[in-house]
Amino acid sequence: MREAAHNLWKFKARHAFALAIIGLSFVILGVFLALANNLRFRARELGRDLTVVFYLHKDRPAAEREFVVDEIRRSPLVESVRVVSPEIASKKFAEDFPDLREVVINLDANPFPPAVEVTFEDPALPTATIVSFIAEVKKNAAVEDAQFNRDWAERVRSLGRLAEVVGLFLGGILILASFVIVSNVIKLIVMSRRSEIEILRFVGATNLFIRIPFLLEGAILGVAGSLLSLLLVFVLIKLFPLIAGPSLGAFHEILGFRFLSWSQAIALVLGGGAVGLVGSLSSLARFLRS
Amino acid sequence: MVELFHVWKQYQKPFWALSDISLSVKKGEFCFITGPSGSGKSTLLKLLYREVLPTEGQIIIGGKNILRLTNHKIYTLRRHMGIVFQDFRLMFHKRVFDNVAIALRVQGTPLRDMKRRAFIALRMVNLQHKIWDYPTSLSYGEQQRVAIARAIVNTPRLLLADEPTGNLDPQLAHDIFGLFREINKQGTTVVICTHDKELVRRFGGRVLTLHEGKLQGKDSL
Repeated sequence: MREAAHNLWKFKARHAFALAIIGLSFVILGVFLALANNLRFRARELGRDLTVVFYLHKDRPAAEREFVVDEIRRSPLVESVRVVSPEIASKKFAEDFPDLREVVINLDANPFPPAVEVTFEDPALPTATIVSFIAEVKKNAAVEDAQFNRDWAERVRSLGRLAEVVGLFLGGILILASFVIVSNVIKLIVMSRRSEIEILRFVGATNLFIRIPFLLEGAILGVAGSLLSLLLVFVLIKLFPLIAGPSLGAFHEILGFRFLSWSQAIALVLGGGAVGLVGSLSSLARFLRS
Repeated sequence: MVELFHVWKQYQKPFWALSDISLSVKKGEFCFITGPSGSGKSTLLKLLYREVLPTEGQIIIGGKNILRLTNHKIYTLRRHMGIVFQDFRLMFHKRVFDNVAIALRVQGTPLRDMKRRAFIALRMVNLQHKIWDYPTSLSYGEQQRVAIARAIVNTPRLLLADEPTGNLDPQLAHDIFGLFREINKQGTTVVICTHDKELVRRFGGRVLTLHEGKLQGKDSL
């Protein structure tokens, strides 16, 4: 261990380079995993609160719109109903997307239709029942459109899966690159210590005795690189909403900016250690054979 | 102690570095291998510590055929040997103690024992007062003595020295050979490769002469 620590310090420039590459590889992976985490979390939340929003025609008489609201309230499936006027909708839009506030203000007319937000008694209501309910309500002429949040939940969930796959793909490529880098860094260090290794062989050191400091070096490098990446991912997650500021709007709610789970963080650290260890092993094997 | 049977060594065709070498070195013997440059002295020594393999022939050391050792088991041979090189082969970034004790550290010797035995070995070469110095602060002669201390620290049965005084002036060379004689008196078999005929003559002992890879005279089996 002392030998490995000594080498890490002595060849700090080379190790710093390898550390940076490993850190960067795992940062990419970590960012995409965090993104996937947040999207999955949001999808679960969306799926939990069963909501349908009915958008009503603005130009239909108020009585027709009230009839729709009453009909919805009377349904045994419905827990609560909330009517959102165009003014309230416009205000909420301006709060969620502050950068677009001026666009809405400068329009001649309020573009938002009146809406009715419906929450159901039973969150586990089958989709078919809800679809049937929606179809029934939509028969009213005053109803322009309906939006079912389970669709959104599924879309967000899909985005989460996509983020995970992209992260694993990109991260995988970078991790392969960092494996090659670590392997070559260790190889350079082994070459520079060739004479010392020869002396060890002449005095009767086993191959394992010679290997252990280099293997430890590689593993430490890998673990340090992935710890660095965790720190960077944490900083990015905390800094991003501060830097992006209010322009994030509703996306702030969607993304959530949660960090990785414990199991993911541990997997990253172990993965980094494995990359470093295997990189060292591969570079040593050829040298010791010769 | 050391037996070679019809050993041949070829690095590159059609030249033979060693041709049909058969010899025996008894336990406790003090033996020189002499000859001009390129006669095969270093090759012969390299065969003995299994740095290279012979093209043909057998080598027995301490009753074991060393050619049967796999690469992973060569360390078992070298732990019973001390090897001294012309270029000393010290670790200049480590202290004298670390350079000497490395031969014990690879065998898992406890630290207290390492310190004691390293001190004893350095005292034998009269360098115990430099135990915590770095080799860069030592003279050539002192560096070679550190290398000798490393070679003897684990009380080897066989000490091999390849042109150990090649880089030293005559007085220092004389001192080094004197050390080898002392080591031999304690029971270690000593085999020294040298082209310094004057020192061979002065110190005496059995002489094996190589010329163009062949053993000369009646010292061959």
